[in-house]
Amino acid sequence: MTASRFSGWNSLLLGGLLAALPVAASDLSGPRYHIQGFAAQGLIGSTNNRFFGDSRDSVSTGFSEAGLHGTWQPSDAVRLSGQVLYRRAGESDEEGLRLDYAQADWHFFRAETTQFGLKLGKVKLPYGLYNETRDVPFTRPGILLPQSVYIDNSRDLLLAAPGIFAHGASVQAYGAVDFLLGWVRPDFDSESVEYVFLGNTRPGKLKGTGAIGARLRWDAPTDTTLMLTYADARADYSPGSMDSLAAGKVRFRNLLATVQQRFDTLTLTAEYGEPRGNLSGFGPALPGNSRTVQAFYLQSEWRFHPAWELMLRHDLFYRDKDDKSGRQFQAATGLPSHNMFARDSTLGLRWDATPSLMLRAEYHHVNGTGWLPGPDNPAFFSREQRWNMWLLQAAYRF
Amino acid sequence: MCRAIKWQPNKTKALRPVAHARFPTWQLLLLAFLLTPLAAPAGVIVHPDVEGRSISTANLRNIYTLRQTLWPNRQPIVIFVLPDDHPEHVAFAKEKLGLYPYRLRQTWDRMSFSGMASAPIEIKDENEMRARVRATPGAIGYTSKDTVYDGIKILRLE
Repeated sequence: MTASRFSGWNSLLLGGLLAALPVAASDLSGPRYHIQGFAAQGLIGSTNNRFFGDSRDSVSTGFSEAGLHGTWQPSDAVRLSGQVLYRRAGESDEEGLRLDYAQADWHFFRAETTQFGLKLGKVKLPYGLYNETRDVPFTRPGILLPQSVYIDNSRDLLLAAPGIFAHGASVQAYGAVDFLLGWVRPDFDSESVEYVFLGNTRPGKLKGTGAIGARLRWDAPTDTTLMLTYADARADYSPGSMDSLAAGKVRFRNLLATVQQRFDTLTLTAEYGEPRGNLSGFGPALPGNSRTVQAFYLQSEWRFHPAWELMLRHDLFYRDKDDKSGRQFQAATGLPSHNMFARDSTLGLRWDATPSLMLRAEYHHVNGTGWLPGPDNPAFFSREQRWNMWLLQAAYRF
Repeated sequence: MCRAIKWQPNKTKALRPVAHARFPTWQLLLLAFLLTPLAAPAGVIVHPDVEGRSISTANLRNIYTLRQTLWPNRQPIVIFVLPDDHPEHVAFAKEKLGLYPYRLRQTWDRMSFSGMASAPIEIKDENEMRARVRATPGAIGYTSKDTVYDGIKILRLE
């Protein structure tokens, strides 16, 4: 590996992957390289609304995921890792192949049970329990993550961004503690994120200027995990031609609390967040406002057999904490009130047929369209408040 | 599967407590299922240059959950495992670590796919396990047989 390979994310990652292949198989002295990957295909059917493709009263095959992940350790203290991701999700994600992340991690302090480090590059953003591996089907509690907290509409903002994080971890008698604290330039520049913050896709460009992120995690010896995640992100809007909006500013803050308790084969998880968005300076077409979202889910996973797991979840999402029913929104805009909330009851079944093949089935009953993907359901007035959805997914790993 | 498809949304509240109430019975069944087909309890093996004669359960668990990454002499730990459904792995995870194999896999996936750590190196069978532990400085693994092998050290579990 030469320094020139650091010139771009792609070459860094590809270099790492290619260098790894011929050596890994025969190297007995130490594992410097590791490649792993996955591929998954889903089938989705729904009533009344569409989710990830043409699923209404039909079957959508529009949800596909595949990833190739590589890690290379040029020395004991340095780890390079990255992932190439292929993802398709109906009209909501048509990007296909992309570089998910590529980071260099330097452990500048290493003791037996304590480490401190710095990671930089296009880094994975710490957010709750599942965000950093949200596209790896095996690591999710269901085919879909709870949409209240992990809303797929703003996934681009949450995934990864260029920046730097300091991190540390220590394991002691009182349990294991780890933290991450860093700065990134967040990615607001996508249609769905624009849709979330500006209510529609706009002719101009929303550009992230900076964000700080922090996460503190404590795994207590009682099989309890407690975690707090904080993020504060800012973006500037540059109007396009014929734009009704002025050059405004967006600020987004979120504090997310996580609790997980594990009892033998049962896992109970709850996460609660109040993301707050502020808009200012967009001119009369989009008056300045401040709105607090409320997001919460409670989930139980029960491994009733070594290869089978049952999941039950109740997921609540309110786009405006002070207008949960959406009545004020409806009065002000004339748009249906059910855009402002979503209550989702989910039942899921997972079967690990072999260590590398997983099959899943999932059923959702949803009251509200708060996180319904806009691009799949462009017409506001044809969205219906109550809808059901079933999903099947087959996932393979190597 | 049938249950998932037949489930009606208005029965949410009825279903949840039922699943939990049944839990202790199922837990016994699960334990029976886990324990019956197993071989003799696994022993912890390490490369001969690893210091000490014994290891605590807490340390072993910290190593296999990727929290302890160095031996006391600061040598990096290299972890070997058998496949998730290998009877010897199931026995080791449950009896020595006190963790179900699926929980170990969750931790490894979370750490490795996010780029924070490497998952343990998975090998096919116990012969290869012994060969790799013998050949890799800092290595740790496990075996079902209590036989003494040249070039491998057995650690007593405290």
